Amino acid sequence: MTTTGTRPRAALPAAVRVVDAVKVYGRDDTEVRALDGVSVDFPVGRFTAVMGPSGSGKSTLMHCAAGLDTLSSGAALLGDTDLSTLDDRRLTLLRRDRIGFVFQAFNLLPTLTVAENITLPLDLAGRTVDRARFDRLVDTVGLRDRLHHRPSELSGGQQQRVAVARAFAGEPDVVFADEPTGNLDSRSGEEVLSLLGRTVRETGRTVVMVTHDPVAAAHADEVIFLADGRLVDRMPDPTADRVLDRMKAFDSRAPVTTGGATP
Amino acid sequence: MTHFGAKPNARAGSKTNARAKAKTRTHTEADTRTPAETHHHTEADTRTPAQTHHRTGTVRTPASLRLARSSLRAHRRRFLGTFAAVLLGVAFLTGTLVMGDTLRASFDSMFTGATRGTDAVVRSAVTVTAAGEAQGTRGPVDAALAERLAHLPGVAAAAPRIEGAGQLLAADGTPVGGKGPPTLAGNWIEDPALNPYRLAEGRAPNASGEVVVNRGAAKAAGLALGDATVLRTPDPVRVTVVGLATFGGADGMGQVTWAGLTRADAERYLTASPGEATAISVRAGPGVSQEELVAALGPALPDGVEAITGQRAAEENTEMVSGRFLGLFTTFLLVFSGVAVLVSVFTIHNTFAVLVAQRTRENALLRAIGAARRQVVTGTLAEALTVGLLASLSGLLVGIGVAAGLQALFPAIGFPFPEGDLVVTGTSLALPLGVGLAVCAGSALLPAVRAGRTAPLAALRETQVDVSGTSRTRATAGGAMLAVAVGTVFAGVLGTPSLWLAATGAALAVAAFVVLGPVAASVAVRVLARPLRGANRGLARRNALRSPGRTAATATALMVGVAVVTLFTVFGASLKATMDRTVDRSFAGDVAIAGASFGAGGAGLSPRLAPAVAALPEVETAVGLGRGVAEVNGRGRALTVTDPAALARTLDLGEVRGSLTGLGADGLAVAADEAASAGLAPGRTAELTFTDGTRHTFTVRAVYARADLAGDYLVTREAWAPHRTQDADSLVAVSFADGVEAGQGKAAVTEVAERYGRPEVQTREEYAASSAGGIDMMLTLVYALLALAVLIALLGIANTLTLSVHERTRELGLLRAVGQTRAQLRAVVRWESVLVAAFGTAGGLLLGGFLGWVLVRASEGSGDSALAFAVPAVQLATVALVGLVAGAVASWRPARRAARLEILRAIATE
Repeated sequence: MTTTGTRPRAALPAAVRVVDAVKVYGRDDTEVRALDGVSVDFPVGRFTAVMGPSGSGKSTLMHCAAGLDTLSSGAALLGDTDLSTLDDRRLTLLRRDRIGFVFQAFNLLPTLTVAENITLPLDLAGRTVDRARFDRLVDTVGLRDRLHHRPSELSGGQQQRVAVARAFAGEPDVVFADEPTGNLDSRSGEEVLSLLGRTVRETGRTVVMVTHDPVAAAHADEVIFLADGRLVDRMPDPTADRVLDRMKAFDSRAPVTTGGATP
Repeated sequence: MTHFGAKPNARAGSKTNARAKAKTRTHTEADTRTPAETHHHTEADTRTPAQTHHRTGTVRTPASLRLARSSLRAHRRRFLGTFAAVLLGVAFLTGTLVMGDTLRASFDSMFTGATRGTDAVVRSAVTVTAAGEAQGTRGPVDAALAERLAHLPGVAAAAPRIEGAGQLLAADGTPVGGKGPPTLAGNWIEDPALNPYRLAEGRAPNASGEVVVNRGAAKAAGLALGDATVLRTPDPVRVTVVGLATFGGADGMGQVTWAGLTRADAERYLTASPGEATAISVRAGPGVSQEELVAALGPALPDGVEAITGQRAAEENTEMVSGRFLGLFTTFLLVFSGVAVLVSVFTIHNTFAVLVAQRTRENALLRAIGAARRQVVTGTLAEALTVGLLASLSGLLVGIGVAAGLQALFPAIGFPFPEGDLVVTGTSLALPLGVGLAVCAGSALLPAVRAGRTAPLAALRETQVDVSGTSRTRATAGGAMLAVAVGTVFAGVLGTPSLWLAATGAALAVAAFVVLGPVAASVAVRVLARPLRGANRGLARRNALRSPGRTAATATALMVGVAVVTLFTVFGASLKATMDRTVDRSFAGDVAIAGASFGAGGAGLSPRLAPAVAALPEVETAVGLGRGVAEVNGRGRALTVTDPAALARTLDLGEVRGSLTGLGADGLAVAADEAASAGLAPGRTAELTFTDGTRHTFTVRAVYARADLAGDYLVTREAWAPHRTQDADSLVAVSFADGVEAGQGKAAVTEVAERYGRPEVQTREEYAASSAGGIDMMLTLVYALLALAVLIALLGIANTLTLSVHERTRELGLLRAVGQTRAQLRAVVRWESVLVAAFGTAGGLLLGGFLGWVLVRASEGSGDSALAFAVPAVQLATVALVGLVAGAVASWRPARRAARLEILRAIATE
């Protein structure tokens, strides 16, 4: 199952690559292998969804690939940069300059306006904001009339769209989205997902999204499935039904496969 | 603790909410597996068995107390600031009380020990106390009376005691003491029972020019047995140290210096005429009690002479030291511990207010599952009282420790601290403990009541929007209070100054500032943050603005501290400016020779100095100002003994009605203000009663306008001579002859002064500066004492920041995730702290400046003698700078904590 490298799509250059990733929490009796030798490429310009049951290690994979957490062994690479060689400060700068984030909730600083939230990573870096690109981005996410509002004055869907705009504002190499629609109703969720998909296609950005919602996963170019910290399957050009079927297969095996992963 | 994003969720319906919660649980579960297990989880795990135990145990703790305890245990660090604030306040208070009691007890035993052998004291019954003086001047008695008394039945011995001012010069020629405690000289009494001093080394003086010096003074002066030096009485007397003495077992009576001469020398140098004594010490024969002795002495005493028991005399001495000096000292320290306690009230109140706000959901949950309002209130109060109790107990220990440390330290730095055990009375334990508990409970009361009011539904609601800063009621009430305060102050200051009205207004102004704080906070922070640029400082500004109520409450503690500092700085500067102005306006001479500043200690100036200086060819006029005392028409008044006609040439007395020349032996000159209040005018007569008990009628010959340096009453030396005590001038004012260059004149005067005990010759500027020297000393002490209050205020800022950082865990995590470096994160916290501190400092400067102005204006005196108001720009700028720097320092710990945050946990925490 971990023979991803031999697949034809590996021909595309990888924006993010994870090689033999192992992440162990605790030790001895309480030892939990959240990632157990995962190797996977996230190709440039593609929208990849990461799926799996609770405790499958999908969030851990994302955190390690995004430089928010470190691997116990193996390597996580952003382009040619091996994240394990970077100290905290350089990891931070890397996240600021080369990675965008959309979290499930709490994406925005309540004290900043929408516009300020969008340019936050640029402001932190002390970079000047390209007006034209900013305007384009704002129009893409459709928040032109909300720029000077505070996050608390926006709906959940609008907030997540601001988060998407923020994630893409710095033209990052890759955007990681962690359950970006987890807190939204289906209509708002749909808006956010199509926004993500559209941005990938229009600007050629790379997006990696962790989700457990088959409908959300269907917006991706490809879905990879994790279970027990291992890569177990890949599904190009997914549809919600096919993803759901695949997930049901996990559920039927759940007592066997996830037994050890959930404390 | 979700801050945003969830509000729309609530709208979106319970289904999505439930889904969100399920998701969150997944995260949390994943989280427990991380090696760095969260604090809370650990706490929860360890807590459960304990609670189970309590439930099954025989003793049941009330639920509210159990809640308080578990909360304290879980949030120990959050109470650190509160704990420290109470501890410092209580320690200060305890230290002050214990020190006061210990000093008092030590002085008691010292005086009792020193005068044990004296059974009765015979002294003049006449004392004259000039207005504003702490201690009256007592007339002398006839020394020969001692011989007569010694032969009375029941009397074992009687010895005249002569006491006067005498300042020793140190081995290097500088005067010893004279900056507060008296510098005394007296006769060495041969009868060891009647002599409060004991020889420790050497021998008693038995020839002219031999002295015994108390050991403390000898150490300070660097004098040893056999050394020759000068004693200013104030005429310089060459003396040789032949003995060292102790007083009541200590090296001296505090820092009082004492030199014992032979009786002949003492009569010659310390009394106005031979045969006079300050008092007579009497020892009773065997089996005669002190009371019986006094009764036996009575019939033998001439008119105007009284006898008191030795015990009464010792009590009077103790009273003089304890009641006046120690009382003042203790009150002074208590005022500052009061300021420290006040500041900690604000700090603690704020901590609990923030904690309760953060715990809204927790409290709501408690209410929802059936906790009574009272249980929630009790729980919060119990928390406060527990912290208060622990901190107060620690404070008591620290306070007692500090007092013990000082007791050990004082002798080491040359301040002879009387021997004796540390005195810890019930009051010095109960009072600080009570204050600590009251402060904690009182400060937490409002937040606790607020916690009790938490609606059960708040558990489901989002954190409410903070509206404290925008409350119209608050703005109106605060504004009205301020208006009334300013109005009252003006009413109290303008026209006839009324200290009472002004003080009421000032207190109201303080209250108005506290009430208006939150309203002012948002505007003030915006203005103060204007110069700040960049993303991090922008964030800091927003953070400081997000809860104006909290920002204001945090800043209030610092504001109070800075206000008190500013008040003293402004008042001190105004006093100095007043002295400058006085010298500038009233001193028409070229140089001044002044005795000790502030009129305390020292022996003054030789009365022969002024004539000697006047004889110089460079000098046109040199006039000495001595000090006398008399009752003028029954009211005790200080007299200036001088040559009034010459005085008018070196001091500017303003407009003079009548003539200053030819006052003669029965003429007076009176200052205009005093003349008006005493009903005196040129040509009228006044009855003067002197300390020798005589009464004389004087005629007012002149009324002059300015009393600044001259004092209220001028009499000639001729008039004073029959009633004089030890002769001394306190000031010699000198004008140079025409064409004499300043340096040349000063050099000539200095040369003459050299022969009269080397007093300092000062130019006008030096004279003004030295007059103000005591103020600087006082201010330094005040600053040192206020440093504690400011420290407590900073602890408050640090504590609130820590709580805020905790509250913003998710935000900080997000910031770190999207690329804020640790250094940038620290900078945000630091700038927020600096902004809060800047707000507090600015408010404090404003309030303190206003209060200083009120104090200056409301102080006694009007017209010419009113205080000048001065704003010391440099000092206040320093205060502002210290405030800002302190703000940055206060942020050190919270900033570090914020920067250490683990991103993953921060973004995963619900």
